[in-house]
Amino acid sequence: MKKRCTVLLGMTLVLVVIVGIHTACPAAETIKIGVIYPLTGGAAAEGRELRAGAELAAQIANNVMADIDMDMAKRGGITSLGGAKVELIFKDHEGNPTLGADLAKQLILDDKVVGILGCYHSSVTKTVSAVCEQYGIPMINDSSTSPALTQRDFKWFWRTTPHDVTFTQDLFELFKGLTEGKVKGVPAVPKDQIKNLASACEKTEWGSQVSETIETFAKQYGFDVQKSLLYAAKSADLSSEVRSLQAVKPDAMLFASYASDAILMVKTLKAQKVSAKIIWGQDAGFEAPEFRSTLGDDVVGILTRTVFAPKVAEVKKVAGQVNALYKKNIGHDLSGASARSFTGLQTWVEVLQKAGSTKPEEIQKTANSITIPGDQLIVPWKGIKFATSGSDRGQNELGSGIIGQYQKGKDGEIVLEIIYPFEVATANMIYPFKAF
Amino acid sequence: MEKLKACFDFSDLPRLDLTIAGLVLSALLVFPIFPHSSYAMSTVIQFFMFALYGMGWNTIGGYGGQVDLGLAQYLGIGAYTTAVSMIRWNTPFWVSMPIGVVLAIIWCFVVGYSVFRLKGHYFAIATIAMSLVLKDVFEVWKFVGASRGLEIPSTRFTSPDFLHLVFTNDTYYYCLILAFFVIGLLYINWFRKSRLGFQLRSIKDNEEVARSLGINVQWAKLKTYAVAVTFVSAVGSFHACYVKNIEPEDTMSLDLSILIALMAMLGGAGSLWGPIIGAGILIPLKSYLKEWLGARAGLVGIDVVIYGAIIMFISAVEPRGVWGIVQRVRRRKRA
Repeated sequence: MKKRCTVLLGMTLVLVVIVGIHTACPAAETIKIGVIYPLTGGAAAEGRELRAGAELAAQIANNVMADIDMDMAKRGGITSLGGAKVELIFKDHEGNPTLGADLAKQLILDDKVVGILGCYHSSVTKTVSAVCEQYGIPMINDSSTSPALTQRDFKWFWRTTPHDVTFTQDLFELFKGLTEGKVKGVPAVPKDQIKNLASACEKTEWGSQVSETIETFAKQYGFDVQKSLLYAAKSADLSSEVRSLQAVKPDAMLFASYASDAILMVKTLKAQKVSAKIIWGQDAGFEAPEFRSTLGDDVVGILTRTVFAPKVAEVKKVAGQVNALYKKNIGHDLSGASARSFTGLQTWVEVLQKAGSTKPEEIQKTANSITIPGDQLIVPWKGIKFATSGSDRGQNELGSGIIGQYQKGKDGEIVLEIIYPFEVATANMIYPFKAF
Repeated sequence: MEKLKACFDFSDLPRLDLTIAGLVLSALLVFPIFPHSSYAMSTVIQFFMFALYGMGWNTIGGYGGQVDLGLAQYLGIGAYTTAVSMIRWNTPFWVSMPIGVVLAIIWCFVVGYSVFRLKGHYFAIATIAMSLVLKDVFEVWKFVGASRGLEIPSTRFTSPDFLHLVFTNDTYYYCLILAFFVIGLLYINWFRKSRLGFQLRSIKDNEEVARSLGINVQWAKLKTYAVAVTFVSAVGSFHACYVKNIEPEDTMSLDLSILIALMAMLGGAGSLWGPIIGAGILIPLKSYLKEWLGARAGLVGIDVVIYGAIIMFISAVEPRGVWGIVQRVRRRKRA
C-alpha cells in the first residue's frame, strides 16, 4: 500500500512538473483569423484550392523565406506585433448562407478571431459580412464577385478581388476587340457573326448577378442576349437547359457555374453536339483544376475569365516563385481561386503589419488607408487600395481580370493561355470554337 | 378553459417519461445562465426550430399518416412575409408573423384541396411537386428578390429590438424560441387527445372505415394540414429574423422538406416525443460531427458518412424510429 502511494505521489509530481514547464514556456503569440470556405458540397473542389492558397500565404507570412521577393516573406511573422504568427481557423459553410452566418458568430464569439476571410460563394459572403457588420469585426473578402456586396455601404467589409462588372466588361471588350481585329491571331470578325448571345448561370446571388450584368453590357455594346436562364448548381441533369440554349442558335454561350455543374454543362454540350463560335465561363468552375482534368481535350478552345493563369508566373517573378512553392506542396499550379485566397490572406497580413494592433478600429482605419503595390502581389493587378466612399465602398480599385483560353501546348499538356488584355496575350486565340 | 386544462394534462403518459422531459426542459431553461459557446447556443436554437417543424409535420405525417415532403414551402411563405414586410414597410414581427400564418393556411387549402385526393407515394410526390413549383416562382419573382433572396439590414434596427426581433445577443432568440417550443408542445399534447387527433388516427388506420363512421376525411386532413403549416410558417418568420438573409434555396428547398420529415420519422412519427427526440439527435450530431471531425480533424465529409450510417442503422433496427425502440424495450420488460 505504502509503495503504491509513493508511486502515485511520484507520478503526480512528474505531472505537476510537466504542466509547470509547459505553462512556464511563453507560447508564441498568434493572431487568429477565421477562414470560411466551402470545404464540402458542390464547390468542394474550389474550397480545397482556396484553403491551400490561404495556408500557403500563412506559411510564407510566418516564416522567413528569403527566396521570395515579397515583403511578407522577409518578416517571419507580424513584426509590428512582436513577431506574432498568423493562425488560420477554417470552417466549412457547404455553400449554405445560414450555416455561414452561424460559423461567423462562432468564430467571433467563441474563437475570438481578429477578423474573417472568405467565403467564395457570394450568397454566403452576404450573410457572413452582415454578421461581421453587426459585431464590428473586419472581414476581407478574397473571392466573391457579386457587385452588390460592396454596394451596401458596410464599414467592416473590404474586397480584394475585382467584381463581375469588371470581369463582364472584359468579356465585351474582347468581343469588341474581335470585331476590330485586335485579338491576337484572329482577323476582324463581322459583328453580326458574334452578335447573338445565350447565357446560363447558376441561380444564387453570384450567378443571378452575372446574368443581369451580361444583359446590361450586351445592351451597352450592342449585342443581343437571345436566351438568359438560371439553373440550380446542384442539378443532376442539365439537358433541358442546354436544349433551351441551343434552340436560339447562339453565336456565343456564356456561363457562370461552379465546378460540378461546369463539368456537367460541358459534358451535356458535348452530348448534344452543341455548336457555338465562343464558349465562355465566368471563372469559378471553368477554371478549377478538376474542370480540365475531368474533361481533358474537350476544354480546348473554351474561354474563362480569371485573375491568375500559370502563364502569369512566366512574366511576373514573384508569381513564379510562389507558384513553384504551391506546385511543390499541392502538385499543380495555382488557380484563380487559390491565387485570390493567397492574396486575401496577404492583404490581412499587410493590414495587421501596418496597423500594429488587433483592435477592430485600428484595423478598420488601416484597411481604409492601405496601399499594397502590385509588385508585392502574385496576381497581375496594379495593387490593392480600397474605395472608402461612393457606391463601391470597400472594393479594391486597382484589381483587374484576364481572359484565358484552354489550348494544347507543344508537349500535349492543356494550358490556360492569356487572350485578354490584348497587350499581354500569350497565344493566338482559337476562333471559332471547334465543335466537340 | 377545458382545452387549456387538456394542454397541461400529461396524466396518460408514464411517470418516467414525464420525469425525463421535466429534467430536459429544466436544463434547457437554465442553459443560457451557464457559460456556453455561441456555437452551442445556435445549435440549441436550431434544435428548437427543427423540433417545432417536426411537431408540425407530425400532426399531418405522424398522426394523419400523410407523408408530406413539401412542408418547406410554408416555411418560405412565413419567412418571406416577415422579411418583405420588415424591409419594405418596417412591419413588426408580431404583425407579420400572423399574416404569414394566414397566407400559409390559404396556400395550404389550395394545395391540400387537390393533393389530399391522392394517397401513399402519389401524395408524397404531389407535395414535392407543389413545393418545387412555389420555389421556382419565388426564384423568378423580383418583388421578393428572386433567386438572390432578401437581406434584413440589421444595422437599420437598434439591438435589442423586441418588435422586429433584432438582437445582437442570441439569448433573446433563445428565450423566444423556447417559449414557442413550450407552447407548441402543450398544443400538440392537446391535439393528440382532441377529437381531430382521434379522427386522424382512424383515417391513418383505414380511411374507408373512418369515412363509414361519418368522419369528413377531406376536411379533417385539411384542418390538420392548417395546423401543421401554422407551426412551420410561424417558425419560418422567426427564421427570417434570426438569420436575416433568406433565399428560396435556403428556405424552400426539397432538402429542407426531407430533413423536417426525417427528424420526425427518426424520432418516432405519431408520438408526442418523436420529433423532439429526432431533432435532439440529428441537429447536435450534424453540428458537432462536422465541427470535430470535419473542421478540426480535417476529415472533411466524414460527418455526412456517420450521419447517414446512424440514420440507416435506426431505420433497419426499428422503422418506427427511436421512440419505437423505446416502446419495444418497454414491452419486452413488461413481458
